[in-house]
Amino acid sequence: MRRYERPVFSLLYRMVRDRALAEDLAQETFIKVLNGIKSYRPEFKFSSWIFKIANNAAIDHLRRKSLDTLSLDGSPAAETPEQMRATAPQLGDRAETPLQHVENRELGTAIERAIARLRPEYRACILLRHVEGYSYDEIAETLDLPLGTVKTYIHRARNELRGYLEDRRE
Amino acid sequence: MTNPEQQHLTTEEIELWAQGLLGAARAIHLADCTLCREEAGRERKIILELVQLPQFAPTAGFADRVMSRVKIPTPSGDWEGR
Repeated sequence: MRRYERPVFSLLYRMVRDRALAEDLAQETFIKVLNGIKSYRPEFKFSSWIFKIANNAAIDHLRRKSLDTLSLDGSPAAETPEQMRATAPQLGDRAETPLQHVENRELGTAIERAIARLRPEYRACILLRHVEGYSYDEIAETLDLPLGTVKTYIHRARNELRGYLEDRRE
Repeated sequence: MTNPEQQHLTTEEIELWAQGLLGAARAIHLADCTLCREEAGRERKIILELVQLPQFAPTAGFADRVMSRVKIPTPSGDWEGR
């Protein structure tokens, strides 16, 4: 398990950009892998199987998150303007926590911020390709995508990254 | 049929070139082809930034926390938590 600890955590961390959440998802991934080891099919590369489970966990989380709309009007249970104000999220008045400081240091570089702007599907492809060194075939197998789609996603992802980085420099 | 040496570089070949791994025959095409050189030049910087991205580690004790929640098969074929 230690062999895959860092790669899996790194993928999830870059997918969700939250250390604690990435660790929860990584734990969930390894528990699924170890408890479901009997369902592993040897014709499938073992690391691809792990990354498939990890990526699914990240994508599920990102989909759920996109459904959770944050209301600036406060709790849905609030009935009066005072209750709405009292339960509304306070923006911009929180000091950075130590964990946020670590996250900003680790994921605050221009290239990491540019990766964060990519669609999750592009992000997963580009991370498996360039951070994990996966072949295009392996990425297709891991993400259940046609090979041509993987090639297109990687090409588009790099074009977008270049665009984001050029925007920043201008 | 098109001579393979005259075909433009694929996305994968541009990646290989950016990392200094492109074979000699294709490198000759790259040297002669303005289109490929322009595309490869554009891709190179971003590819080099991507391949240098670091890996991150979870907090200490991560593996132990996972193993404490995994069911281990017993000799009788049952499962037990650790």
